[in-house]
Amino acid sequence: MTASALRDLPTFRNEPVLELRRASERERLLQGLAWLDGRPPVDAATWIGDDKQSGDANVSTDPGDPERVVAHAPVATAQDVAHAVEVAEQGARAWRRVPARERAEVLVRAAAWMRERREKLAALCVRETAKPWAEADADICEAIDFLEFYARGAIALDRGHHLFQVPGERNDLRYLPRGVTGVIAPWNFPIAIPIGMTAAALATGNAVVLKPAEQAPGCGFVLVEALRAAGVPAAALNLVQGAGEAGRALVQDPRVSTIAFTGSLAVGLEIIREAGQVPEGQLHLKRTVIEMGGKNCVIVDADADLDDAVPAIVSSAFDYAGQKCSAASRVLVHEAIADALTERLAGAMEVLQVGQADTFGTEVPPVVEREAQERVARYAEQCARQGRVVATHDVPGAGWFAAPTVATELPADAPVLREEVFGPLLTVEPVRDVDDACDRVDALPVALTGGLFCRNPHTVEHVVRRSPVGNLYVNRSITGAMVGRQPFGGNRLSGTGTKAGGPDYLLHFVEPQVVTENTVRHGLVI
Amino acid sequence: MGGAARTDDQAVLDVGRAIHAAFPSAGRRPLRALDDKAMDLASQDEELKAALFRFVDVVPACRNLDDLARHLTGFLGEVDEHPPPIAVAMRMSGTKAGRTALGAAAAAGVRHMAHRFIVGETVDDATGVMRDLWERGVATSVDLLGEATITQAEADRYARRCAEALDQLTAVYAKLPPRPQLEQDALGPLPRANLSVKVSALTPLLRPDAPELGKRDAAVRLRDLLRRAKDRGAHLHIDMESYDSIEAIADLVLELLAEPEFADGPSAGVVLQAYLRDSPALADRLVAFAGSTTRAHPLVVRLVKGAYWDHEVVEALQHGWSVPVFEVKADSDRNFEALTRRLLEARAGGTPIRPAIASHNLRSVAHAVAVTRELGLRDDDLELQVLRGLGDDLQDALAANGLRVRTYCPVGDLVAGMAYLVRRLLENTSNESFLADQASGTPIEQLLAAP
Repeated sequence: MTASALRDLPTFRNEPVLELRRASERERLLQGLAWLDGRPPVDAATWIGDDKQSGDANVSTDPGDPERVVAHAPVATAQDVAHAVEVAEQGARAWRRVPARERAEVLVRAAAWMRERREKLAALCVRETAKPWAEADADICEAIDFLEFYARGAIALDRGHHLFQVPGERNDLRYLPRGVTGVIAPWNFPIAIPIGMTAAALATGNAVVLKPAEQAPGCGFVLVEALRAAGVPAAALNLVQGAGEAGRALVQDPRVSTIAFTGSLAVGLEIIREAGQVPEGQLHLKRTVIEMGGKNCVIVDADADLDDAVPAIVSSAFDYAGQKCSAASRVLVHEAIADALTERLAGAMEVLQVGQADTFGTEVPPVVEREAQERVARYAEQCARQGRVVATHDVPGAGWFAAPTVATELPADAPVLREEVFGPLLTVEPVRDVDDACDRVDALPVALTGGLFCRNPHTVEHVVRRSPVGNLYVNRSITGAMVGRQPFGGNRLSGTGTKAGGPDYLLHFVEPQVVTENTVRHGLVI
Repeated sequence: MGGAARTDDQAVLDVGRAIHAAFPSAGRRPLRALDDKAMDLASQDEELKAALFRFVDVVPACRNLDDLARHLTGFLGEVDEHPPPIAVAMRMSGTKAGRTALGAAAAAGVRHMAHRFIVGETVDDATGVMRDLWERGVATSVDLLGEATITQAEADRYARRCAEALDQLTAVYAKLPPRPQLEQDALGPLPRANLSVKVSALTPLLRPDAPELGKRDAAVRLRDLLRRAKDRGAHLHIDMESYDSIEAIADLVLELLAEPEFADGPSAGVVLQAYLRDSPALADRLVAFAGSTTRAHPLVVRLVKGAYWDHEVVEALQHGWSVPVFEVKADSDRNFEALTRRLLEARAGGTPIRPAIASHNLRSVAHAVAVTRELGLRDDDLELQVLRGLGDDLQDALAANGLRVRTYCPVGDLVAGMAYLVRRLLENTSNESFLADQASGTPIEQLLAAP
């Protein structure tokens, strides 16, 4: 080990997003895009050990221009997945013996690799998932944050915990890697979320088989490139491209001990069921680290400052076309100000910037694919049928655009008030008071994020106590959780209660072990 | 700052002493002294200050006196130690009758404080103040307070209010007697009616990462206002706001003023914020613009310290960016003096530019006057500006010294004015405030020492 590897890592701080109010920073991103556009599509191969298998069974295209191919990838079979797990099992045996400090150094090097290429990586997010610039840049920063944060966390975890000691015995609590982690990632934070789950597993000495979303194979490939370039051994990090079948094979494989998943409720529940099976020969209980959807409500009390509340609600609901698990989908507003809020919300909708992700200022880009466009349209029709559409917005014809919509006067049992739309659709419900609002939040089976606009400290405390959500934001937007500052994850059916980017996340990737040694020999303490 | 010639400190001292000697004594303004006591109380205790600001902020949104009192005690409940008047308030909040009385008293207190800084709810309400100031040799620039603009309807409403205000101000000032000192300088006539406008209120589309968007949208309304001001012979001043919008606003204003239809009017101005580290570059750009256009009216450049310091620092720290403002007050003060000199030297060198130095810092003001004289300019080549409610004493002292002074007069209702009021209160209770030093009896030599 080199001397530099032994030096303490500097204290964690979030990677600064680009200061896009400066023309020079905007120019930098555009250069990244020009670079990307000047190259052939990303060869997003399946990458098992040192073996790369290219393919074009799955092609990712620009949601804003479905003719533009961004990456081409194979679709892994169950046999490919089994092979990847086999390689990972060998990789895990070697990787767990690498000291925690050295594993951390590798992650920090991967962060540096990404930092150097941040405008190119952001451009890939823009093209492959239609993330507008500011959010694409933030995605790269969050990826860097996860690497840096878990690197430090794993070093701390490796020191173990202080236990109660008495004379004549030594008690140690230490944490061991669990083995092979299967990571099944979503497309909406196409670099940050997969690298977060992957980095947590690697930092704690596990090997990984990663299956990125079929909508974002290119992003999945480059993040593996980053980690491999930084020194993660080939066998310790394996990439399988594919869709549901590959994911299922990964979850069912008896050699996989941990499954980290971010995605929909339906798939999450299926994973939990599958992971509960213990076939003959499986030597462990599978652990699931799961983050699913939400139906996130923003409560607006009568004393809220609408100058702040309206823009924050609009950005929480419509930025990135509402395609964030944290996005706002229901506003529960005190009846005394419901009309004023609705009117200003409708006015703010008119000036929403709907357009291509590569245009600065765009707030609502196209949704990720045709299916998503159709889903949003179905819910919007439902709103028109069952309630009243307050505001909507024209959208361009080319690209998978979904019209941003605000609806109100929906019946209490309307499906759109319970089901996650994952698109630019917001409903408004007047409520008698904050308790009425809290009752409605409490009636939901999911509990991911929530918002409150209120200036009375007693009311804030009251709502905090009544709120079941994993992340509650007071007097601000409800998206944009930062690593280390807002550890993120939901309660109830929104997830397993794990907090990505938080101080205890890594504990889900390790096995605790207590070693007690008798230090008395011949009546003497030695 | 780098390279700027130093003005003779003795000259600054002499000017400063003369201004200071003309300050009205507190005894003549009993109500003012009462306010200062209240602000003094708030500035001594950070927790109490925070509680009072949060309360002032929420007053317009409270539905009734009971609600008001509940908010007040909610905030005060977070203060560790209660000074005696606040302990009384907390006891009163136990009963409904007590809360009503407390709410009424608090509302009256906030209204009273607001009236110190906000001259009236409408331009009509403010005419008495404007007339009175004119009589005393003080010009004004009126600023229409409003809620944040987040819709096109709100932008249209603000633009309409501005257009009406230009008409009203022109009518009000037409009836006032001549005040040659306020109406003329060596470069020509100065409009009597003077309106300050905010670009962020003229468009809901100001986006830090897409300056073109807001610029395009605001241009339509700003062009209409420039036409109206030209038609009425009024001055239109475009305020600067937070750093997020600086590129959009500077580009917008200079592009519009360069359009041929505005070559012969109206008189217009922009703002230069001395707390910005890159303000010297903007100063150069403004001076170059003033010198290169063939506009009939010289460009007015209002030099201010800058009113968004906390916002800029917090935003930069939250994002991990370098802070765009000077973090040490003395650096900002030194830059203010360097920029003062930069603008006055341009004027002395023949550039058609009207420097308007806006500060409540006696040293900064005295420095500007001393530099003006040192460069061989006349006193009326310089305009001094103060804020209503904060610079009242300084305003009178400057007028008494025969200097041209313009008072920035916000107009609007309490809801609309709350953000403004909170900013002014923060400024007034800041530990580094010149006004606080002055109120605490700091010796004049110290007040006038070079930063």
